[in-house]
Amino acid sequence: MPTEPIRILLADDDEDDRLFFKEAFDEIKINTKVSLVNDGVELMNYLLDKGNQLPHILFLDLNMPRKTGIDCLLEIKQLAFLKDIAIAIYSTSASDMDIEETFVQGANVYIKKPSDFNTLKKILEQVITINWQYQTSGLNRDNYLLSL
Amino acid sequence: MHVKPIFKSAFFLKSVFVLSIVMLLYISSISYNHTKALNESSDLLVHSYKVQFQLEHVLSMLKDAETGHRGYIITRDAVFLKPYKSVQDKIYTSYIRLKALTLHDQPQQANLDILLQLIYQRIDLISNTLKGILDKTITEKDIAENLLAGNDIMDKIRTQINKMEDLENSVFKEHQKKYEQEVVFSPISIFIFAVFSLLVFILSFIKINRDLVVLKKSNKELQITNESISQAEIIGEFFTTRQNMETRELIYSDNLFRLLGCEPYSFIPTPDNYLTFVHPDDRHIVIKNAEDAAIQGKTEQHFYRIIRKDGELRYFMSLGKFISDPKSKMYIGIVKDITDQHLNNVALEERNRELEQSIKELESFNRVASHDLQEPLRKIQTFISRISENDRANLSEKGQEYVSKIESSASKMRILIDDLLLFSRTNKAEKIFEKSDLNKLLENANLELAQDIEEKNAVIRSAELPVLNVIAFQIQQLFVNLIGNALKYSKPGVSPVINIDCEKLSAKNLPVFILDKRKEYYKISVSDNGIGFEQEYAEKIFILFNRLHQKSDYAGTGIGLSICKKIAENHNGYIIAEGEPGVGATFSVFLAR
Repeated sequence: MPTEPIRILLADDDEDDRLFFKEAFDEIKINTKVSLVNDGVELMNYLLDKGNQLPHILFLDLNMPRKTGIDCLLEIKQLAFLKDIAIAIYSTSASDMDIEETFVQGANVYIKKPSDFNTLKKILEQVITINWQYQTSGLNRDNYLLSL
Repeated sequence: MHVKPIFKSAFFLKSVFVLSIVMLLYISSISYNHTKALNESSDLLVHSYKVQFQLEHVLSMLKDAETGHRGYIITRDAVFLKPYKSVQDKIYTSYIRLKALTLHDQPQQANLDILLQLIYQRIDLISNTLKGILDKTITEKDIAENLLAGNDIMDKIRTQINKMEDLENSVFKEHQKKYEQEVVFSPISIFIFAVFSLLVFILSFIKINRDLVVLKKSNKELQITNESISQAEIIGEFFTTRQNMETRELIYSDNLFRLLGCEPYSFIPTPDNYLTFVHPDDRHIVIKNAEDAAIQGKTEQHFYRIIRKDGELRYFMSLGKFISDPKSKMYIGIVKDITDQHLNNVALEERNRELEQSIKELESFNRVASHDLQEPLRKIQTFISRISENDRANLSEKGQEYVSKIESSASKMRILIDDLLLFSRTNKAEKIFEKSDLNKLLENANLELAQDIEEKNAVIRSAELPVLNVIAFQIQQLFVNLIGNALKYSKPGVSPVINIDCEKLSAKNLPVFILDKRKEYYKISVSDNGIGFEQEYAEKIFILFNRLHQKSDYAGTGIGLSICKKIAENHNGYIIAEGEPGVGATFSVFLAR
């Protein structure tokens, strides 16, 4: 019997990035269910809507209009029922300040958006196959920034 | 300044003055006594001579009378009686004189009376004899007896006169003796005292002279000091105030007038008059400061504006301190014209604002470069990767070539943006210095470059490097850039050999371009056997975007060495390049110990 798909949610205001994301998962041969929201406000509405199943992994862009990724991260970490969602930061930049702050606020992994589609696929595949149990229990500053 | 010796000599001079007066008084009193005694003895001498003279006179007149009456006895000629007739009156006159001369001399008065008795006896005898002769009642025998008796009396008179003369002499002699005793000592003592006084005067004269020299010198120094202070005030554009806190008397130095743009002494410098020059909005500052100083003893620096006589606005700064001695408390103040300084500061602040503004603009440019440029580029690259992967086969040969060229251009742009970001980060990043082992940093750099090193089959040899206080990630970047450069510009077909050397330079061995000669430096050089360069380009290659080679020959953005230079500067160090075409290049970094 087929296993339950991994529920994945991406919050990103950039249409192209959402497209790459979606296409990458289409090509990854793992059973996933990808949902997309367009910004932070939509993300929080989605999460708070009891009608939606909560994702296993949330990919969070930082630089979004209305409500930034950091704002969302802070809100999510304050809500007990959202605590179990693994959070992967998914950002264009990888400034030391952003990495530091998201790590402190409890994000699980930091992904810098690659400029090559194959690399993107590899990274996303790696993220969803991480043993999250391990990743969340041994919060480690050194391997927080994911690189290939 | 030599003030103390003068005070001391003032005391010395006063003592000498008092001593001199005492000695002069002493000498005068001795002289007076001396002169007085001399006068007395001369009076006494005169007196004694007068007495003797009168006595001799009496005796001589008596003798005349006797001689006369003897002549009469022999010749019976009345001519001989002439002296006898006047003798009685004359003798009495002498007696009166003698009586007066010896008025206070009791024994002499008694003697005088005895003498007078004897004289009367003698004169009586002569009178009797003469009367007898005239009356012819006297015998020759009686005359002879009378003459004998007369002789006796005459002897007694002589004895009496001698006695009186002796007495007179003895009084004089006694006085003379006493006088001599008194006076003999005085000339010597006067002389000694005079000599001594003279010495004292000479000494004081020398001393005064010396003090005068010192005083003159001190005066001269004081004059010079005053002059240099007033010159300093003119040069330094300040004036001073002195206020006695008890009497409230306030003295301004003369430069006040100059700083207020007035003719010297054109007004009386008082606090009220001064206040008229202070900008109306700032007067309360000056008043409050004076009150604070007077009441609370505060001495705070404060600033206010002055409107000069010609209307020019100037900025003044005032500060001061209290000086106390047991007698009084004094406030010493300095008021300085700081207009130039103030205007400079204002201009500087303005430029600082401009600089801050342009830094902000640069920062926002960086943001644009990092985010907004990266974003579309990343998408271009991703889309191309989609095309070249999925749709390459559907493209014509030309189309495939164009896609490759777009791919290559996009990746060059990626490198350029990354390098630019690295350069600006090198500029801006927090400079955290920590003790770092340069060997370890070099090792990390080699790891970063491992792929290139392997590809080029390069040999890297390194000397022992020191542990230095550096910004670790920047020094690592420096090694990456320099070794990366050496790999990039290697000779085709020749395995790169890269040597990393380290040399400790003492202060005297430093190259001329290092200005701070106090420190010791490490010279760390990276040399290669690559294509090298003409020495004339040695400085140009560090300039941003400067490249010596065609882009198609060697990949590169022209930023790497600029970053190296920046890193060296961040460490207050230096970097130089030496090259020879076809032989190799050496980059040397100088880092202070």
